[in-house]
Amino acid sequence: MSTAAYRAHRARRNDLALLWHQVRYEQLSFWRNPQNAIFTFAFPVVFIVILGALFHGGTGSSYFYGLSTMQYYVPTIAALSVLGSCYGQLAVMLAARRQNGILKRVRATPLPAWTYFLGLLAHCVMVSAVDVALIVGIGRLYGVPLPANWPAVAMALVLGAACFCALGVAVASLIRNSEAAPAVVQLILFPLVFISGTYLPIHSATLNQIAGFLPVRPFNEVLIGSFAQHSGLAWRNLGVLLAWGAIGAFVAIRRFRWDPRPE
Amino acid sequence: MRTEVRNEVSPVPTQVRNEVRNQGRAVGPPAPSAVMVAGLRKSYGAVQAVRDVSFTVEDGEIFALLGPNGAGKTTTLEILEGFRTRDAGRVEVLGADPGDRAAGRALREQIGLVLQDIAVEPYLTVRETLARNAGYYPAPRDVDEVIGLVGLTEHERRKVRALSGGQQRRLDLALGLIGDPRLLFLDEPTTGFDPNARRDAWQIVRNLRDAGTTIVLTTHYMDEAQALADRVAVMSGGRIVAEGPPSTIGGRDAARARIRFVLPDGYTAADLPLPAQAGHGLVTVETTEPTEALHQLTGWALRRGTVLDRLTVDRATLEDVYLRLTSGSGPDVPEPLTKGSTR
Repeated sequence: MSTAAYRAHRARRNDLALLWHQVRYEQLSFWRNPQNAIFTFAFPVVFIVILGALFHGGTGSSYFYGLSTMQYYVPTIAALSVLGSCYGQLAVMLAARRQNGILKRVRATPLPAWTYFLGLLAHCVMVSAVDVALIVGIGRLYGVPLPANWPAVAMALVLGAACFCALGVAVASLIRNSEAAPAVVQLILFPLVFISGTYLPIHSATLNQIAGFLPVRPFNEVLIGSFAQHSGLAWRNLGVLLAWGAIGAFVAIRRFRWDPRPE
Repeated sequence: MRTEVRNEVSPVPTQVRNEVRNQGRAVGPPAPSAVMVAGLRKSYGAVQAVRDVSFTVEDGEIFALLGPNGAGKTTTLEILEGFRTRDAGRVEVLGADPGDRAAGRALREQIGLVLQDIAVEPYLTVRETLARNAGYYPAPRDVDEVIGLVGLTEHERRKVRALSGGQQRRLDLALGLIGDPRLLFLDEPTTGFDPNARRDAWQIVRNLRDAGTTIVLTTHYMDEAQALADRVAVMSGGRIVAEGPPSTIGGRDAARARIRFVLPDGYTAADLPLPAQAGHGLVTVETTEPTEALHQLTGWALRRGTVLDRLTVDRATLEDVYLRLTSGSGPDVPEPLTKGSTR
């Protein structure tokens, strides 16, 4: 009796404790699926190893804006890994969780939506940080110096992760069924990555102008800048990135559905 | 959060528990009923899934929405659970409007949901899944206790995806209970269970009710409603066609007796002293006065020096009543027994 009364009177745990609880269990679910965990980290590693094997060595060239080939690719592939884990995987994962009813179950509990999404954001930042560390480490083996401006790199990563997570949730809000999710995600991502100079530097002024207003190129530039050129944060690029993050968040808040069968 | 405890100590533990909970985190003014639905309507496009449904569920009872697939049970339940919007009508759950998102968190802390489809994250263990959800509630039940309650103690370290369908369903039930809800919604809780598992689930539900939890469940099994519910509302075509304790469902229909026998050679049903219906080699006379009817029929046979072969007298089972109630078009269409017999 007294225990029932005691339990009923226990207050809600505070928001930060609840968030930490959610982050822990989100991490546990992720690491419990080793295949998924390995492939998440294997993709950027394989990518940078292959590029390193192809373009290893060499000195700066004007084609790569005065950087060596690998000095260029380490930050762009790092950016790509953030895109993959925040935007791509998150959109696919949310679409799948909605389809199989897991999101609806989350909605059935008192867990606030923002706590659930911050738990996912923390996961994406963690994956991004590990990816970037792996890429920088392998870059080091190919003679690429460590990032010049660590605080700028860290800040760019967190901001980029948040923006691309918001876009990932937005895209997941617009996708109706989970089978289509990977295709939709790639259809948006691939051309965007290509024109933003991730795989090859783009020397077309028009294309760069357009890409400069889309989310990927500004992120690439911020990372290239803070990795290799000792520059501080490029505020204009960060502004574009944040604007896209805000658009993504707006769409996500307006359109996100928890139920697999919309009304 | 208030921490004072009133001095009204009731001898009944469950009442004290509910009392304390009401003080601790009431969503609105104290509600007389756990659930109140009035004039509820919901359409999906041109399909009217719920048409003017009203009912109340009192604190501490098991209330069943019974009906075939597509009768509107799940839609009604999902409106109560806050998953669907309504087109018209009033709905109160523990004194709050489930459509009001501002009340959502406080309401969800006090209700447990077991949805129709199984959906649990595959890679956590049984114990981890429950410990995670326990953390979402201000006053959860003990994780081990709940695992024991649903009979998963020996599987608590297994990953969810290694569980059988029935075990996953029990985990789902455990997730509905972990927050120590005042009100529990169960959407077809035993669909797909084998008979033993069903009986176990029923016992769990009864124990919960005895401990003071109000339970609203949907089912398409008549026997489930009969075995569990304190009150039943039979739904068909989006309407409630009958409501009451299981023993009174069907009213006069259930009170009717059926007299069946083989029609003697050389006679037709029209020759009998009472209206009768022929079929399957037998004729059936339905009556509310079986003693009288039997006397007339046997007298009729004796006077003609013949017999009523294979003569039986029985009552419509609840299953018959249920089929009759849900096969028609609704309450406003009277159901003549002679036409309504579906078997």
